Amino acid sequence: MAMTVELPALERTDAMTPKASSKASSARLRRYAGPALGLLLPVGLAMAWEIAVWLGYSNGRLVPPPTKIFATIMEMAKSGELSRHVSATLSRVGAGFGLGVVAGTLLGAISGYWDLARRLLDPTVQALRAIPSLAWVPLFILWLGIFETSKVALIAAGVFFPVYLGVMGAILSVDRKIVEVGRTFRLSGPAMIRRILLPAVLPAYVVALRVGLGLGWMFVVAAELMGASEGLGYLLLDGQQLGKPAQILAAIVIFAILGKTTDWLIEIVTAPLLRWQDAFGRQGGGG
Amino acid sequence: MLALDRVGKTYPNGVHALERFSADIRRGEIVAIIGGSGCGKSTLLRAIAGLDRASTGTVRLDEEAITSPHAKIGIIFQEPRLLPWLSVADNIGFGLSDQPANVRGGKVLRALARVGLADKAKAWPRELSGGQAQRVAIARALVPQPEVLLLDEPFSALDAFTRRDLQDHLLDLWNDTRPTLVLVTHDVDEAVVLADRVLVMRPRPGRLFEEIKINLARPRDRQSPHFDNFKRRVLTALDRSLDRNVPDADPKSTAGEAMWW
Repeated sequence: MAMTVELPALERTDAMTPKASSKASSARLRRYAGPALGLLLPVGLAMAWEIAVWLGYSNGRLVPPPTKIFATIMEMAKSGELSRHVSATLSRVGAGFGLGVVAGTLLGAISGYWDLARRLLDPTVQALRAIPSLAWVPLFILWLGIFETSKVALIAAGVFFPVYLGVMGAILSVDRKIVEVGRTFRLSGPAMIRRILLPAVLPAYVVALRVGLGLGWMFVVAAELMGASEGLGYLLLDGQQLGKPAQILAAIVIFAILGKTTDWLIEIVTAPLLRWQDAFGRQGGGG
Repeated sequence: MLALDRVGKTYPNGVHALERFSADIRRGEIVAIIGGSGCGKSTLLRAIAGLDRASTGTVRLDEEAITSPHAKIGIIFQEPRLLPWLSVADNIGFGLSDQPANVRGGKVLRALARVGLADKAKAWPRELSGGQAQRVAIARALVPQPEVLLLDEPFSALDAFTRRDLQDHLLDLWNDTRPTLVLVTHDVDEAVVLADRVLVMRPRPGRLFEEIKINLARPRDRQSPHFDNFKRRVLTALDRSLDRNVPDADPKSTAGEAMWW
């Protein structure tokens, strides 16, 4: 996206017409070249390590080579362990994310839309936000027990704040001039929300959701480290206690894959709604 | 008829922006309101649009008091203010949402062709140039066929060439249904080329200073001596309006007051 921004102004307008297909194809090449370039470093490092272990420069016991990690994952997949742990973690993140998003969206919308509510509510929320969320862990365990409820609550607390802030900030920063256009066309309250506020807020909301999801993944690890009998976080702890670094790395790789995939899902689902923004990136601002 | 009767506005912060502005604007007339900064011309336009309520006085359109945005009044702002998430066609049709899709589509297509942007129907607002975007804004305001169209320095953000082009284009569009145009501007050339009547305002607080009728047939030749003559009259009035020693020339606001003493 960012790569095409520096296209000169003349080429930008050309990009829409078929006669500029050579430019379009070079742009396509650059679009694929970008991710490939990003893969070079991690893949290169992994291969170098694989070769180093294979040649005997290291025994690879503490830092197992990629094939060993992959083999561990396959082994867990075959025994059904993997799907048990993954589904446990996914359901925790799903529940916590869902709760956090609902609460954050509702309170954020109320605070953003209604001045009195913001003055009433926002200072408290901001004060709570200043507390490192992990500090709640002992309290959550005391209140909600060691099982699922406290874990989901911790994840939800992590997701809540970025979503709340994102929604409130987005509503507050809606361009008053655009709202005025709605007024001149005499939109009713609900129509104003549906036709002006929601689309205006959506881009920032998607960003807030993605930040919230990222924090959800962060907090699920914390939640599962504080005592669980299944889940990817449990695999981490188990690997540490039994001295199985391949298992730890396998869990980390799966975390990375799941985190990236769920983030990508949000992107895919919301992409059609944000096409107008996409045009901005592709056209580089349009004059 | 659009009747402004002693319209005044004092903002909550105490700024006295507009004082007892009265004018009767006939149907189909083009009126330009011109004045230095702080003369309350935008305040006046927002009061006519119903976006802000006047503190004193009344705005009436055909005997109906205007206190909030009205279906028969359209407005074009200095910026196009297009909705970035709607295509050009959807932006133009924004004010027609109460009409069935096929009627709306037809009107939008005709409007697109009329402002010369038929090929941009599916484009996003970001892909338009400044002049094109303002054309879309004009089309959006005109498509619901308002009786009164208000323009708040509509071309001031554009380059001189595009501005002239759009001024001519606006007159052309006006000729279709002949709505009443009330144009706020700080460009003397623009006022004289468009208006039947130029209302010169003076600042602090904003009030009517002088009224100049432009008796020139359209289309007007910007190079003609008559055109220059009217420009000079407006310019002189503007200069005088900024001079504190010159009393208000408007008989309605000061002469009446003097008699009360």
